[in-house]
Amino acid sequence: MFKYILKRIGISILILLGVSLILYILLRCMPTDFVEQKILALYTAGVDVSPEFIEEMYKSYGLNGTILEGYFSWLWNFVRLDFGTSFISHREVLSDIFNPGRLGTSFYVAAIATVFEFLIAIPLGITAATHQYSFIDYLVTVLVLIGISLPSFFFGQMLKDLFANKLGWFPVSGMGDKTVSLTGTAAFIDYLRHMFLPILTVVILSIGGRMRMTRTNMLEVMNADYIRTARAKGLSEGKVIYKHAFRNTLIPIVTGLAGLIPSLFSGAMITETVFDLEGIGKYALNAMTQGDIPVIMTYNMFLAFLSVLGVLMSDLMYGIVDPRVKLA
Amino acid sequence: MGNNSDEKTKKVIDKHYLSGKEVRAIAKANAKEMRRLEKAKNRVIPESEYVTQMRDENNILEIENLHSYFFTDQGVVKAVNGVSFDIPLNSTVGVVGESGCGKSVTSMSVMRLLQGPSGQIVEGSIRFKAYDFKVDPNGEYIPVYVKDEDGNVVMEEELNEDGTPRLLKDGSPVLKPKLMRDENGMTVYEKEEKVFDIAKMPIKQMYRLRGRQMSMVFQEPMTSLNPIFTIGDQLDEVTLLHVPGATKAMAKEHSINMLNLVGIAMPERVYKSYPHELSGGMRQRVMIAMALAGEPRLIIADEPTTALDVTIQAQILSLFNDLKKRINGSILLITHDLGVIAEMADYVVVMYAGRIIEKGTASEIFHKPCHPYTQGLQKSKPTMTSSEDKLFNIPGNVPNPINMPDHCYFKERCGKCLKKCSGDYPEMVQVSPTHFVACHLYAEEEKRG
Repeated sequence: MFKYILKRIGISILILLGVSLILYILLRCMPTDFVEQKILALYTAGVDVSPEFIEEMYKSYGLNGTILEGYFSWLWNFVRLDFGTSFISHREVLSDIFNPGRLGTSFYVAAIATVFEFLIAIPLGITAATHQYSFIDYLVTVLVLIGISLPSFFFGQMLKDLFANKLGWFPVSGMGDKTVSLTGTAAFIDYLRHMFLPILTVVILSIGGRMRMTRTNMLEVMNADYIRTARAKGLSEGKVIYKHAFRNTLIPIVTGLAGLIPSLFSGAMITETVFDLEGIGKYALNAMTQGDIPVIMTYNMFLAFLSVLGVLMSDLMYGIVDPRVKLA
Repeated sequence: MGNNSDEKTKKVIDKHYLSGKEVRAIAKANAKEMRRLEKAKNRVIPESEYVTQMRDENNILEIENLHSYFFTDQGVVKAVNGVSFDIPLNSTVGVVGESGCGKSVTSMSVMRLLQGPSGQIVEGSIRFKAYDFKVDPNGEYIPVYVKDEDGNVVMEEELNEDGTPRLLKDGSPVLKPKLMRDENGMTVYEKEEKVFDIAKMPIKQMYRLRGRQMSMVFQEPMTSLNPIFTIGDQLDEVTLLHVPGATKAMAKEHSINMLNLVGIAMPERVYKSYPHELSGGMRQRVMIAMALAGEPRLIIADEPTTALDVTIQAQILSLFNDLKKRINGSILLITHDLGVIAEMADYVVVMYAGRIIEKGTASEIFHKPCHPYTQGLQKSKPTMTSSEDKLFNIPGNVPNPINMPDHCYFKERCGKCLKKCSGDYPEMVQVSPTHFVACHLYAEEEKRG
């Protein structure tokens, strides 16, 4: 087991190296870079920019060499845990990303949404599977398909329009009421009120996939021979479903949980933009459009690390929940 | 079953393909029928509606005119189409036939395990003589009390938790009737014999019969055990479910006894194993142990040896033979292997395309097979003494199950056809007190004789 984990960590490091190389090359191949945008802004403002100045600019941002040179200098700094400063804010990348207000906001939204997603989607999936082809199955499937198909920018706007603009139950956007200064419980309630609509959006849009997965797994298990054996023993249908069938359905659900780790920290880019939350998703999107290479590289490497970790964890989970799997 | 959809199916087969419109029409008719039958499965009805009487007191199971259908989008598959046979107490009845003749569906119907909503018992009755716990009006089991020679209930002192007698305020001990206990210290409850019509029982009532009164050994030992529970967990479940007041420790002891009984060498170790750690033969033994754990009176073995290799087959069969003596019950053995039937069965039922074509005692079926199909089956069995180079095979295939002809289903493959065979389906003809055959050849003979 220990040896297995060590081996997997070794492979993970290789994967991360590959990811970083591809990421860096892609970033440098973007049709516009940070310096270009900056100079264009100066030019449109009427400032006369000399070629020497442009050269100087590229040099100061470390973008003057070839792509490979740039990559290796980035990598050298990265392994020395020097993540650089943001082109835009000129602050340390690390403190910018791991800002509790920024990463924290995204994490709370994702974590709460994930909990609700599982609490709603799994019972729905089981009900749909055990009542296959019934009215309730069709109803759940149709509603959930609508959920999957709705784009988040559209659905978010719709919720905002209905609950915030028309009904006025929740604030339109932002993270807190800036017109009054609140403390303690009042501030917390205000925060929750602001988070409600974004979380609702994320939950409704993500239920679909999870529910379909639960339904499919459950259907497969319900048709298995050992379910017939369980019935032949004289177990009631409830026991058959919740003990014999559900325990088997749980295997992919539990192992899938570990795979969710990166999504907890990646932030909901579009939802955050729609509701104007200062989350990591919105921040990363902004960095992306402006070509802020240190920020994008660090943020993406962080997610790549979490993904690799998630995959490893989910494999380890298999070994724990499924007696048939032996890790070696 | 509405005639309407029957006609539709017929039309369909003539054309050999289905238009979308026809499929929709069939699906609609099916959906209506399936909804009705599913509702009937779950309704709450008084016990008097499904408690009946046996026709013959010596039988444990009587199947009469059983029709089990599958409602598919291509039409209704009449998997079991008017099957009637009895299982006498303490006997083995073998059901033979080729794949798809409805043997397994018959056994599933008896356990009410047909996969709904498409598989349904449409008609007929399955009468089963159960010997089950008596229940008082509150649904509680009635314990048996120890009585002295005069027939009075013996009273004993009630004890406190520390073992001292509990006393009333005036110092006299609290008395309670003494419960009868069996050798394991379990309370004995009153039992009664009751005949249920399984085909009419609500599915919730079946939980009382399955596992405790009748149990089943399936043909696929590799997939019939739940992969994520240990053998012990799965065996204990039966005891905990069917023995009132059983504790975990008692269940474990009983399970290990059962594993011993089916000839598993290291029961303690197997008890803790997961199914994937056992071989096919071991798993089938575990399945048999599980079927026995509830001490049922009827064991249905659905091709118990098909998935096993020949040496293990012989062991499993001799195990069944021993068990029959032990459990003092009956076995319904489903198989396509005539050798197995010859070794095991007292009575044999031969099925073809959802109907019984011949039934009788094992010796009658093996020594005087009447129906041309049974004769063909006998001939297609490899023997050591045969001098023929080639094994006999019955020409042709089983007819399409969706649209059965009106005449004898075996007509197209039969070498002994009469003119009459194109007419109606042959009636059951009695050739001896125990031997019946559904063939026009013998209807003629009977008339002449």
